[in-house]
Amino acid sequence: MTATIEPRAPDIRSAGRRQTAALSAFLLVQTLGTVFFVGDVIGDLRKDPTSVHFLFEAFVTMALVLGILFGAFALRRTVELLRAQEQALDVARGALSEVIDRQFRSWGLTPAERDVAFLALKGLDVAEIAELRGAAQGTVRAQLTRIYAKAGVSGRAQFAAYFVEDLLGQGVAA
Amino acid sequence: MAAPRTATAEAVPPPRLWDPLVRLTHWGIAFVVLANGLVNKGGSLVHVSLGWAVMALLLSRLVWGVLGPYEARFSAFPPNPVAAARHLGQLISGRVRRYPSHNPAGALAIYAFWTLLAAVIVTGLVLTGGATPMQVAADKAAVASGDWSALIREDEGDEGDSPLREVAEEAHEVASNLLLVLAALHVAGVFVEGRAMRRNLVAPMLFGERRR
Repeated sequence: MTATIEPRAPDIRSAGRRQTAALSAFLLVQTLGTVFFVGDVIGDLRKDPTSVHFLFEAFVTMALVLGILFGAFALRRTVELLRAQEQALDVARGALSEVIDRQFRSWGLTPAERDVAFLALKGLDVAEIAELRGAAQGTVRAQLTRIYAKAGVSGRAQFAAYFVEDLLGQGVAA
Repeated sequence: MAAPRTATAEAVPPPRLWDPLVRLTHWGIAFVVLANGLVNKGGSLVHVSLGWAVMALLLSRLVWGVLGPYEARFSAFPPNPVAAARHLGQLISGRVRRYPSHNPAGALAIYAFWTLLAAVIVTGLVLTGGATPMQVAADKAAVASGDWSALIREDEGDEGDSPLREVAEEAHEVASNLLLVLAALHVAGVFVEGRAMRRNLVAPMLFGERRR
């Protein structure tokens, strides 16, 4: 029922997911390369353990392994950062609905009116609200009229704008 | 729906989506186990290459078990046979708890998976004398072009049919068959758990729940 208006969050979410997926794939390819390389080094070593060549190969191996460990650590940080952001977003949403609820109460809306007002804010029309609440459309229309009257707004557009204005935090330019 | 409303009483709900490294290694290992266990001929270039690839996948997952995010770390699913038995008991009665990572029975299965996989890889390495896919390819090319010395070197490397080689061959066979059995159990487990928890357990391992 909340599907009508999805905020922009999924975009951030899917972008972050793509990024971590790409990082993971890269990390796996890196590990694959390192495993093959180390296998080859060990093979060389068994053939000719005294070669000076080995020192260089040991250095390269060390660099590759360190690269993988660092990459894994960075990936973990990215995954956790992404989660923290999602959580913050959820908290922000929760905070907004708290602000809205407090405002509704200060206008003295009844519980039924608060419910209808929430649905109206979410962009549902009278027919949808009536269906969701199992009420007649006339009842919903009457409730909306009372809500607008209590809020002191002219209609739905102004009602929605009441909360958006707080979020914008700036006057209208020009 | 926003997360806080769907979250249940547990402090940390199970992951809605496993992190990409867990997912990639999971499906990569699943693919190699099926391909090498059922399709490819042992000792072939493809078989050896996939074996090396799965070694990389396993190593990545083990590193991730230390460095990864919470639910991917070993500490989130320690092996605990008692808890596993309790969980299976709950499963029979149909009232299962939710866990922030793998359930205890699943955790045990995972450690068994890794152990068997490591055994298959190590015995595979013994069987090929530690030859990388590059060496296998070079040897095969040499033999194909009529240079049979590669075969002799192969025999020198592992001294014909030494006891070690025979044991390794047997162990390779047994462990890989056990892997396939475990994989079948795992699929059955996902199905049963999903029914018991009334939750889609496959989606978190693929692309997460579709937002409706």
